[in-house]
Amino acid sequence: MMKYMLLRHREIPNLNQIDVFLKEDGFEGFKKALKMDTNAVTDEVKAAGLRGRGGAGFPTGVKWSFMDKNNWPHYVVANADESEPGTFKDREIMESNPFQFLEGVAIASYAVGANVAYIYLRGEFWEVAHFLDEKIDEMEKAGFLGENIQGTDYSLKIYTHLGAGAYICGEETALLESIEGKRGQPRVRPPFPPSQGLYNKPTVVNNVETLSSVPYIIANGADRYREFGGTEKSPGTKIFSLSGRVKNPGNYELPLGSTFRELIFGEEYGGGIIDDKKIKAIMPAGASSSLIVADDKALDTPLTYEDVREVGGDLGSASVIVIDETVEMDWLITKTLSFFAHESCGKCTPCREGTYWMKAISERIHAGEATKADLELLHDVAKQVQGKTLCALGEFSTMAVVTSIERFPEDFEAKVYE
Amino acid sequence: MLAELLRGLKTTFKMMLDKPVTIQYPEVKREVRPRYKGHHELKRYENGLEKCIGCALCAAACPSDAIFVEASENTDEERYSPGDRYASTYEINYLRCIYCGYCEDACPTQAIVMGKEYEVTFESRFDAIADKAVLLKNSTEGVTPQKTEPGVYTRSIPKMENPKGY
Amino acid sequence: MSKDVTLTIDGVKVTVPAGTLVVDAAKKAGIDIPIFCYHPKMEPAGMCRQCLVEIGRPAFDRATGEPVMENGKPKINWGWKLETSCTNPVSEGMEVKTKSEKALQGQNDMLEFQLTSHPLDCPVCDKGGECLLQDQTLAHGPGESRYRFDEKRHAEKHVPLGDKIWLDRERCIECGRCVRFQSELVGEAVLGFYNRGAHTEIITTSDPGFDSIFSGNTTDICPVGALTTTQFRFGARPWEMKSEASICAECPVGCNTMLNTRREAKSGGRIVVKRVMPRQNEAVNENWICDKGRFADLNVDNRLKMPNPAVWTEAIGAAAEKLNAAKAEAVYLVDGSLSNEELFNIKALADAVGAKAYCYSNVGGGALTTKSGSYGKSGAGDAILVVGTDLYTEAPLFWLRAKQAADRGATLIVATESETRLDAFATAVYRNVDEGLAAAKEAFGAAKNTVALYRGDDALAQACADLNPTSLVGVWEAANTQGAWEMGYEALADFSVLNGKTVYVAGGEALVAGAVDAAAVVIAQTAYETEATGKASVALASRVVAEMDGTFTSAERRAQRFFAAVPAIGEALPGYVITAQIAEKMGVSLNIDAEALFAAFSAMSYDDLATVNIEERLMIAGTCSANDQGVGALLPAKA
Repeated sequence: MMKYMLLRHREIPNLNQIDVFLKEDGFEGFKKALKMDTNAVTDEVKAAGLRGRGGAGFPTGVKWSFMDKNNWPHYVVANADESEPGTFKDREIMESNPFQFLEGVAIASYAVGANVAYIYLRGEFWEVAHFLDEKIDEMEKAGFLGENIQGTDYSLKIYTHLGAGAYICGEETALLESIEGKRGQPRVRPPFPPSQGLYNKPTVVNNVETLSSVPYIIANGADRYREFGGTEKSPGTKIFSLSGRVKNPGNYELPLGSTFRELIFGEEYGGGIIDDKKIKAIMPAGASSSLIVADDKALDTPLTYEDVREVGGDLGSASVIVIDETVEMDWLITKTLSFFAHESCGKCTPCREGTYWMKAISERIHAGEATKADLELLHDVAKQVQGKTLCALGEFSTMAVVTSIERFPEDFEAKVYE
Repeated sequence: MLAELLRGLKTTFKMMLDKPVTIQYPEVKREVRPRYKGHHELKRYENGLEKCIGCALCAAACPSDAIFVEASENTDEERYSPGDRYASTYEINYLRCIYCGYCEDACPTQAIVMGKEYEVTFESRFDAIADKAVLLKNSTEGVTPQKTEPGVYTRSIPKMENPKGY
Repeated sequence: MSKDVTLTIDGVKVTVPAGTLVVDAAKKAGIDIPIFCYHPKMEPAGMCRQCLVEIGRPAFDRATGEPVMENGKPKINWGWKLETSCTNPVSEGMEVKTKSEKALQGQNDMLEFQLTSHPLDCPVCDKGGECLLQDQTLAHGPGESRYRFDEKRHAEKHVPLGDKIWLDRERCIECGRCVRFQSELVGEAVLGFYNRGAHTEIITTSDPGFDSIFSGNTTDICPVGALTTTQFRFGARPWEMKSEASICAECPVGCNTMLNTRREAKSGGRIVVKRVMPRQNEAVNENWICDKGRFADLNVDNRLKMPNPAVWTEAIGAAAEKLNAAKAEAVYLVDGSLSNEELFNIKALADAVGAKAYCYSNVGGGALTTKSGSYGKSGAGDAILVVGTDLYTEAPLFWLRAKQAADRGATLIVATESETRLDAFATAVYRNVDEGLAAAKEAFGAAKNTVALYRGDDALAQACADLNPTSLVGVWEAANTQGAWEMGYEALADFSVLNGKTVYVAGGEALVAGAVDAAAVVIAQTAYETEATGKASVALASRVVAEMDGTFTSAERRAQRFFAAVPAIGEALPGYVITAQIAEKMGVSLNIDAEALFAAFSAMSYDDLATVNIEERLMIAGTCSANDQGVGALLPAKA
């Protein structure tokens, strides 16, 4: 059995060259899909249980089935914004295994009846975007894009679109606003993109990794996908972007259901903590995470969407940042809050004002100029922001703050005075 | 009988010989208490600028509608108070004023204060209206308008303090 | 007709049409949910998060579709977090809690966030006293601040957006009402957001800045003192001013206004108009007025304070003598700046002596505009023709309503020789007027409610009338020219008709100047003192709109009342009183009661003009006044 479904370029060199890709059963999934009924394609993805890899973990097949069939045209948008701190998986796919990703975009477009698909890349990925443009060209020349693909009456064009440096444009409705040329700020939901998305038409927005998982499902069937790895509720493999205080940071593809211990301490993977220090906490979803106390129970928790919740976290995009005893929590939250305050789009009051306020308090705490009351104030403000924001950015900005204060109180109490 | 008479008049004689408490006003004027609410004064800062920013909160607070305020804009060429706004017209009608001191309470810059002057008379109704010149005269020394450097007096309200206890 | 939906808000059952937002349904039930960014006339934004409430929806069994019952009542699934009432439409059986502990806590929290970056400007801010943030803080604000002063953000405080509006970036709470007003309602996106997060600020994207004739309305809808007008800067506090209802006299739309007045030291203690604010009239100007009306100078210096000769009895006597001498050869000339009452008396006097009565107007077709209309609610299936006029400068609120009608699907045809700002919103644009008229003929044939707005000569007016529109609207040069036509005045555009005549002229400065140049003997009834009034034989000081009661007839034939807001200057008298006094000396008996004059002109009473619509007040958000004085009434169609 292949070791890799997504990071196949680690086994097959030069997979980003079209002739190599074609030799390795390239576009088999797409060719098979073109012969299937569009609903059957969606059903296959539903049966496979593929969940969104961008962070929300929403069942992909179900999202495709929500597309409003009375409103045309349909669009597919690939979310390659990848701005979450600690996430660098999509970049590797787009640079080294682009055709599998593009094939996924094509299959998704076929399934929902879209003839135009967009890939939205963060502004800093301009080299990747130009590279993808070349690959799209090659794909079209190879007969898998353009008019009447492979002799059918299905046509598809894929375009890349660059953002301009905003984390908020990774939020799907802000992304759509950005493509439309407006300010990248989230929309009020409902309505959701599958009923009103790009230019108010039904749109599916999927993460790069999600779309890259689709070709295998169609080519080999939902059952084989489930056999590849994962659990009943979280099937398949996932790329974990491991970073932080580990010996070997990087992207690692493991089946869902592997444990934190395997990922962080495994010889082929993280290789353990730098200088063999003691592990303290894990942030499984990048800067937007709750901090999980890295005790044995947590380390042995399987990496699935449902199990990670048991230990007070969320798998999210699986950008696992490892914190050891040398990291102090008050310093850590100044970093995350600084990020969120900078990236807040400013549309809604609690996020715009709250992130700014929390950042100011956390900096005072870190500088040793705060009292115990300030610490309570920081916790209060974070709680005040939760549940009231327009989009998830505001919500996530509070996760690290609240969980670090609640679960690692010693770090803070050392810094505050009466 | 004389004894009873003298006993009855004991208090009277005692008081006759005591020092009188009568103050011989107007030759002798007693000092007023610190919080005495006398004639109003419009105060200035040490640099001579007026504290009054023409916000009309005193007029709003006044229960007898005795104060009339009109505001105008400051420029650095002709500056009366710090910030953008100053009172170009400020009048207190002493026929209406009940000397309650609400205006002093309401003022955000402590510009209008009740002073110590209680000898206020006027011979016509028109003279009862004290305008800005009169009210400023009662107060500290200083000259306005002034010509100031741009960018220095940008805030109307002096620097605030952080909340205590945090 | 949309279905009606019944829901329960704070225990009160309320029934509203489907599609109504929860915040509007609550307003109807008399429950005020705090808001900032929401405005009833704009698409909901859900940005400020102030209107958070608890919303619960009845649970339905997924399999059967039946409602799930609990204790005999439908089970309600409460949302796990608070939701914004401005973005949620009502649904059947919904339950809303606006004042529960959780909801109030949410509203208080949002307000605390707003206050953390709002400066302590209340004493120097013009909005104080009519500020939504102040009102909300009283209701929801924290008693003490938890925010450190030195962490407060600072921004530019005195930014000119154009020459009429000041922006204070520190006070801005980024509710987006101004940006959305300009882009959604006006269609001129000259304001925008810049930067992001805590550094978001409002900028103007046009050059010259804030290039829109509706810019003043943003100062009404801004919930804080971020947008203020340069004209009224530091003028007075809202509670110090008195209000009186009036009608704008700048153009024939007849926008309803409110005049705020106060005694002013710099005017020598006189009571003057400090500012003009909009008054709601959904049929005419909704909540808006244009900058021409808002910033009109109503306290000009060059007022005629005394008649000439300086004693009224002498002046009246002199005027009557001269008019008696001319008898039927005299000419009675007015313009559209006079009220209906003033026009009526002059026409009555002219008729009594058999003399000619003219109204000065460069726009023809006065005899043809006989059908009343109001195209404010036009939409799909209706058609509008705009020919020969640049509505944007000549009748801005007509422009706004035409643009909004086009947004709602009406066919809008613009036929003008040069470009206008309406071109961008029109269905079809013609630079050749005849082609435009031909296209309109086709469009009108297929449409339900049609209106033709024109400015041109009699021929153009006739061409428009031939299209047989539901209403024909002449875009006159003055506010009450339509009133003059209603009374039978003849049109006059060439002063040479006055050569050698005795003329009783009543109107504005340009009219008096023209008459004085052309006529032999001039009796000038006017409010303004000019070189021309000095040359006139008799000058009669009349009052301006702000100083008297009266009515105007708008170009759509709506009679609307205005009320005296300030005392008359000097010894100026209302025009109809002057005319009646002169007439008396000429043996003609005329009424001097404004109400009676109006009744004689229109066959209606002032009461007929006083109907108000309480429901429509739900459409106001900001400092537009509710209309307690009446929305006026359309004149009946001429037979």
